[in-house]
Amino acid sequence: MSTLGRIENFKIEVEERRILRLIGYKKKENEINSTIKNLIISEKKKLASLMKPASIYTILDYEETNKHPVFEKAEKVALCICSIGSGAEQEVSELINRNEILKAMILDALASEAAGEVARQSDRILAQKARELNLWPSKRFSPGYKPWPLKEQQFIFRALPPEEIGVKLNPTSWMMIPCKSTPFRINFYSDKNLSTRKKY
Amino acid sequence: MDKQQFFEQIKKSVIEGNKEEAVALAKKATEEKLDLNEVIEKGYVPAIQEVGDLWEKGEYFLPELITSAECMKAAMGILQPELAKANIPTKSCGKVVIGTVEGDIHDIGKNLVASMLGANGFEVVDLGADVKLDQFIKKAQEENADLICLSALLTTTMLGQKKLIEMLKEKNLYGQFKVMVGGAPVNRQWAENIGADGYADNAITAVEEAKKLMGITS
Repeated sequence: MSTLGRIENFKIEVEERRILRLIGYKKKENEINSTIKNLIISEKKKLASLMKPASIYTILDYEETNKHPVFEKAEKVALCICSIGSGAEQEVSELINRNEILKAMILDALASEAAGEVARQSDRILAQKARELNLWPSKRFSPGYKPWPLKEQQFIFRALPPEEIGVKLNPTSWMMIPCKSTPFRINFYSDKNLSTRKKY
Repeated sequence: MDKQQFFEQIKKSVIEGNKEEAVALAKKATEEKLDLNEVIEKGYVPAIQEVGDLWEKGEYFLPELITSAECMKAAMGILQPELAKANIPTKSCGKVVIGTVEGDIHDIGKNLVASMLGANGFEVVDLGADVKLDQFIKKAQEENADLICLSALLTTTMLGQKKLIEMLKEKNLYGQFKVMVGGAPVNRQWAENIGADGYADNAITAVEEAKKLMGITS
């Protein structure tokens, strides 16, 4: 029988060196000019007030899935949609309109990292839930990773009420709105050998 | 005013990414009634070219390029309306219609490309994101554009790039506009397979590719 849950208490800390890499720097951090460093710090503060990190998940029995081959041999399957909301994206658009492209690029990179962090933390929580059920979690996979096509996002969106965290799906391109959202699955196996995860 | 010194000040402002200074110097050029095309050609254009050279040497990275592009855009925002008011034509590398294809609302990469093209002398008509394919063609015809740039960030929406080229063929417009494609799932092989004229994987190579397509560089 399926269970539905929501995760909201995220502690998001984005590492500045990851942002530097995302915005195209190959230099060592101490060689980056102070203007760029200060912009990262100020946009990071701004992001904290703009994002609303949240995840929604369900844990289904295998029989409740659409039995796509990727779920084979799973006892249960956790489906999850994570998002940081649309605030950062709106601000990025406004910055672009004001010809503040670098700020926009930095804020977008920070938002991508924050969205990734929400997915990582949700993943850890769901892996823990697998262990509480005495099952072994797989790694997390998103639609679009072979052999799970992007259109399978529909299945996740039908299984969950994503509107509760403000996420919707474009029915033709399978693109999520807001963009800084991540859907994924974790298979829960009864046989540890089927789990692809190194840490639980 | 020593013009050469003035052009050097302009170059310094753009190379160092000092937007306020780049704008102040553009205002000064209009106030002093200088030949604004000369100001652009001897001050701003060499500056952005030097920024490109610094990038090629590995001394500048994307953030510095973007900062300099912002300076160029802000300065051109002062100079171009003055030139238009005086009915003086501005030199252009070509007119570009750019957008992210229908169904796709990712636009940060497209915005970076638009910004870099604008800074490097292209006239840019930015249609935004989630743009219907016929809108690209309609706008390119209306604007008598040279180049259509299509961005797509998803494997599902990159198909729109192929469809647009098919539409150009159906309308006997294939060849009238050069088509350049880009976006995370796109590569040169895809561009060649669908019949696109150009491909770029980042905002800097987009400028180089656009110049090649316009016959400005080889």
